[in-house]
Amino acid sequence: MSVARKALEMTQAATEAIVQRAETRYEAHRQEMFRSADRMFAGLMIGQWIFAIFIALTFSPYGWQGKVKTVHMHVWIAVLLGAAITSLPVALAWFRPGEPLTRHAVAVGQMLWSALLIHLTGGRIETHFHVFGSLALLAFYRDWPVLITGTVVVATDHLLRGILWPESVYGIPNPEWWRFLEHAFWVVFCISFLILSCRRSQKDMRVMAERGAELEALSENQWRNSSVLERAAADTRGDR
Amino acid sequence: MTVDTNIGDARKGYDRVEVPAPGGGTRSLTPKQFEILPLRERVSFLIEGTAQFFRDGRPISPSEAMRT
Repeated sequence: MSVARKALEMTQAATEAIVQRAETRYEAHRQEMFRSADRMFAGLMIGQWIFAIFIALTFSPYGWQGKVKTVHMHVWIAVLLGAAITSLPVALAWFRPGEPLTRHAVAVGQMLWSALLIHLTGGRIETHFHVFGSLALLAFYRDWPVLITGTVVVATDHLLRGILWPESVYGIPNPEWWRFLEHAFWVVFCISFLILSCRRSQKDMRVMAERGAELEALSENQWRNSSVLERAAADTRGDR
Repeated sequence: MTVDTNIGDARKGYDRVEVPAPGGGTRSLTPKQFEILPLRERVSFLIEGTAQFFRDGRPISPSEAMRT
């Protein structure tokens, strides 16, 4: 085999190895980010569950039944429905961290938590901020389809509850018919920028991985050059 | 050929790179054009040492060019 051919094969092998390592680094970084966000949401879900029970025990009976302080139906809703909403995302975050199913289940769960908290506070408009906070937190995944899942869930919830039980979502029995569209508009406004941000973050991660590959390639080149020099020096010494 | 290897230079990066053209000869690329080449191709140029980087019209070493 000629020296040139051998050098070409060595270059191809080194290139493949470096590109493969860059891809592995990129995937590892993404996985770590997904797992980290899964862990964060698992804790958040449990925190929201406790918070919802607290809200139901304190605020909700007042919100719905004047000043009569009893163990309201909302307490049971907070305990049981809260457990139902929390259990699947937390179980998936624990047993299947980093998988697409987990983060989409988290998105569904998180938006259902917004819906439940809005209901428990009697459709209080300030509780709707939870939706926007949740979307911002879901952007921690830097995986934009997760935001679409969350948006579909919250839009469907607002649409259906707005028709069937408007007091539960808007706090008033007869909201304007277009109220749903107004909320949807702000959600779309919010996720448009979050999606841009997610895509940019993904691109930055890719650039970082590729920058690492380029540095590895430089290092490989320097190692080869130094090897050539060492061989030349050895040959020179041998000639003497 | 003079290669600028002044590590202490506050200005980093490169503004042009010459790489082998598919049909022979070389082609001159801006940093943006170089960065959108497939990674495999860029890595190959860097391993082979066939990419020549320039800043302000002067050749610089690849390690200087890659420092941003």
